[in-house]
Amino acid sequence: MAVLAVIADLIDGFATVLTPENLAFAAIGVLLGTFVGVLPGIGPALTIALLLPITFNFEEPTGAFIMFAGIYFGGMYGGSTTSILLNTPGESASVATAIEGHEMAKRGRAGPALASAAIGSFVAGTIGILLLTFLAEPVADLAVQLQPPDYFALTVLAFVSVTALVGSSLTRGMLSLFLGLFIGLIGIDQVSGASRLTFGVNQLNNGVDIVLVAVGLFAVGEALYVASRLRHTGEDEILAVEGAKTLSREDFRRSWRPWLRGTALGFPFGAMPTGGAEIPTFLSYATERRLARGKAKEEFGKGAIEGVAGPEAANNAAFTGVLVPLLTIGIPTSATAAILIAAFQIFDLQPGPQLFEQEPDLVWALIASLYVGNVMLLALNLPLVRLWVKVLEIPRELLTAAILVFATLGVYSVSGSVTEVLIMYVIGVLGFFMRRFDFPVAPVILGAILGPLMEAQFRRTLLVSDGDFGAFLERPFAVVLFVLAILALVVPVAVSSVRRVRGLGEED
Amino acid sequence: MKQSWTGPRLAGAFLLAASVAILIAVTSISGRGGYATSGPRFVPLLVAIGLLALSALYLARTFIRPDVALAERSAQEDAATHWATPGLIMAVLLAYAFLLEPIGYPLATAAVFIAIARLLGSRSIVRDAIVGLVLGFGMFTAFTQYLGVSLPAGLTPIF
Repeated sequence: MAVLAVIADLIDGFATVLTPENLAFAAIGVLLGTFVGVLPGIGPALTIALLLPITFNFEEPTGAFIMFAGIYFGGMYGGSTTSILLNTPGESASVATAIEGHEMAKRGRAGPALASAAIGSFVAGTIGILLLTFLAEPVADLAVQLQPPDYFALTVLAFVSVTALVGSSLTRGMLSLFLGLFIGLIGIDQVSGASRLTFGVNQLNNGVDIVLVAVGLFAVGEALYVASRLRHTGEDEILAVEGAKTLSREDFRRSWRPWLRGTALGFPFGAMPTGGAEIPTFLSYATERRLARGKAKEEFGKGAIEGVAGPEAANNAAFTGVLVPLLTIGIPTSATAAILIAAFQIFDLQPGPQLFEQEPDLVWALIASLYVGNVMLLALNLPLVRLWVKVLEIPRELLTAAILVFATLGVYSVSGSVTEVLIMYVIGVLGFFMRRFDFPVAPVILGAILGPLMEAQFRRTLLVSDGDFGAFLERPFAVVLFVLAILALVVPVAVSSVRRVRGLGEED
Repeated sequence: MKQSWTGPRLAGAFLLAASVAILIAVTSISGRGGYATSGPRFVPLLVAIGLLALSALYLARTFIRPDVALAERSAQEDAATHWATPGLIMAVLLAYAFLLEPIGYPLATAAVFIAIARLLGSRSIVRDAIVGLVLGFGMFTAFTQYLGVSLPAGLTPIF
């Protein structure tokens, strides 16, 4: 029985994880992840990138991954706390939560909003992890049969969806993606040994580390952007968490259906090779708004709890779903997943079907630690809400200065080289200008990490086929993925052209 | 609404110039295989051409069928941007990178923290100094003693 085998594997995983030491790692991970994630402007991807150095001294990858499971969930939850209380979402997936959540907080209902977000995250996380548990091995078994053209098509689809579906302009999104691809190409070519695009800088021969790119773009870029505007924007008002801290019976009655609907939307979107949590969170928001009746209908726009419960569950479910392609196929479909790949690489591990064959103990310990991290998050964060609110009160100038110091520390401790720190600063300046001119940042990260993989599969395909491009179309699976990629590119453009022709307002 | 094309045009020109530089760098890649589809130059060539075409398109859209939303956003950004602050912060960070090893992590970090906080408008130097020193020495101790990462001690009078 396959189901029994999975349960046996999972129990082994729990046996590894449930030691006092590892439970302590999980708790530290959740606390650190939430602490950093709560800081305004810091999303889950940057949270993980900044906290990577902590695990360098771990001899066993297991403890490190247990901590990362905590950091992953904590970073995500911390982000939603900030969006609700401060209305400054650290990443696009928290935007939908912020809409109603911030309105609730304004009306003195921050407590129930945070509680609904926390319990919704827990419900969605638990269902998502259960699905991951039972999907992981079958998908990995299928993934073993994938050929280079299939992998190439998967990367193309991931690129297209993150570029076309996120951000406001396709041209700018594509430019970001190609900048990422360029960064990914820098260094020694694995096949021919040729040094490529290093512009004479020797340190670039090993390529540009993804941690460097993420920290530069997210931390330094964002900090410089905040600095450039600090004199024009006053302090954001932090809303107090007053009154009830938990859900009343009525709040619960209104929340549980949105939690489940959000999960049902979030997980499949996250688990597909297109990835991403933005679409399901907005779909969930729209669904809840349409389904709202009576009091809830009146409250939408002024702080309806359904509008927090649904998107937050969708966000968490999508984040869990993203782990399916990451662990089973080795394809990261979000910026956060790309940074997680870097965490694996620290321990010389490559996620993908081979990992299930070579390191089954580690994989199952990782999956078990997701359950632990999720429970830990609920247990620690509901009582600690007031502490996280205090974190939000750190003055902006100290926070920005600290982020820059930590960004430098992170890169210096990864590389031990001042040159790499300087390269990170250059990427940070690039990130600043990208924010100023409204270029999306996530495609750069994905391009830099998936670009080399895409190139390898592309060249492998053409080497086997002796340069015949028809080889890409001989695999039915690859063809389906290419068609999906073309649709993802064409449909939004076509829709906006139709709107323009009908005079329904220009939107690029 | 006010529109500003200077920013987007400069950005487009920069991207175009960078794309040309990358394209030239692609032609100087050596190694067996060259431009063959399985060789080291083929994919970089595609990426460089893609960058060039997209940069040209981006620049063109500031003249032909202009992207009005971009220009309006750009005008708002221009009004809100205080260029000196990020510029000075970058200067402090560059100094940090070069002084990190000679001065040592704890003191350099404290100095940089105070300087950046001040650039961002903080006026309580005592508080900033305390936080900066705690941060510098705290991180130094945590990383070198407990996390097994070596950081430069420089002039630090401990350990």
